[in-house]
Amino acid sequence: MSPNNDPCPNTDRLTDMDDVKFFGALSATMTHDMKNVLAIINENAGLLGDLAVKSQKKATPVDPLKVSTISEKIRKNVTRADTMMKQFNRFSHSMDHAEEFLDMQEMVMLVASLSERIIRRHGGTLTVIPPPVPCRIHARRFAVLHLIFRALDILCCDHADFASDTEKQMTVRFGRDSTLAEICFNRDPGLMIERDSLFDSPTDRALLAHVNMKVKMMDAGAGFCLCTARPDHG
Amino acid sequence: MSEKVLLVDDEKEFLDIMSERMQARGMTVKTADSADQAMAMLEKESFDAIVMDFKMPGMDGIQALKNIKTKKPELQIILLTGYATVEKTVEAMKIGATDLLEKPADLEKLAAKIKQAKAEKMLVVEKQTEDKIKDILKRFGG
Repeated sequence: MSPNNDPCPNTDRLTDMDDVKFFGALSATMTHDMKNVLAIINENAGLLGDLAVKSQKKATPVDPLKVSTISEKIRKNVTRADTMMKQFNRFSHSMDHAEEFLDMQEMVMLVASLSERIIRRHGGTLTVIPPPVPCRIHARRFAVLHLIFRALDILCCDHADFASDTEKQMTVRFGRDSTLAEICFNRDPGLMIERDSLFDSPTDRALLAHVNMKVKMMDAGAGFCLCTARPDHG
Repeated sequence: MSEKVLLVDDEKEFLDIMSERMQARGMTVKTADSADQAMAMLEKESFDAIVMDFKMPGMDGIQALKNIKTKKPELQIILLTGYATVEKTVEAMKIGATDLLEKPADLEKLAAKIKQAKAEKMLVVEKQTEDKIKDILKRFGG
């Protein structure tokens, strides 16, 4: 494509560095969460050791109920860590894919679980309302995950909202008509951010251009929708 | 006399099991699941040491550390975190953190650091008292 026909000016081009920054931010959160789970497993193992020492000192048997409770807690946290690792692995492999058909609900659910701690840290609770029929777009998986992450980031840490850590109810719903598909991000209390400053950084603009989506602000700052032409239209 | 510790972490399961194990080692332990709750508890009670995570909902660990150190400079704060970059560690130590341990931590090591923190707190309190006495004597021309 000649420079004159390029729909995406150089300043708005998605760079490898943008991808790396996003990968780094999410990896840091995930590894932090995993360390927390490991710490719980570690303390439960330590508690088993404490029980053994106590029983030896007092020459009394170890309480089997207590041991089975601890063992159940360890098992539960191993499952939790395993789920985290699987999600992180799915996220890491999202870089392998070129453009493909993607189920938007699946993409939102993955980002929501990967960034659960960030959302919680900012006092947010997120509800994802499944679409009545699958909502698909044709794009690069990693870029879509990045864009959804940015949308959730704006929703829970709206920088124009100085009380950014107050409780927020956030909802994601999907919509489509004959030609358009959209993901709508809703927040209560509403966003304080102006339409012009929504997704206004070079990276945000580049992401939107890359996945061919547009931003539509909802009335009274209730949130925003990301819209795209339906790939399966016709 | 046993050490009185305030344990701050947003993982409730971690708080429960840590406090159980610390109490079994003779410590008196109170828990808070956010920095804001910890700040409120510090208004009402005194502790020998605080063991606190860096990243929690609401007030961030560094901000909490600054607030606590401004209000109660004698309080010893041990950061226990899964997230310890060199920059954050240096920043925390500059603000006045006593020590930093990475999760998962060895409880015996943490217990030793808490003992040490209590001794340091007593030294700071002694020094504060000495300064107050000197100040009074100075004002009365002694």
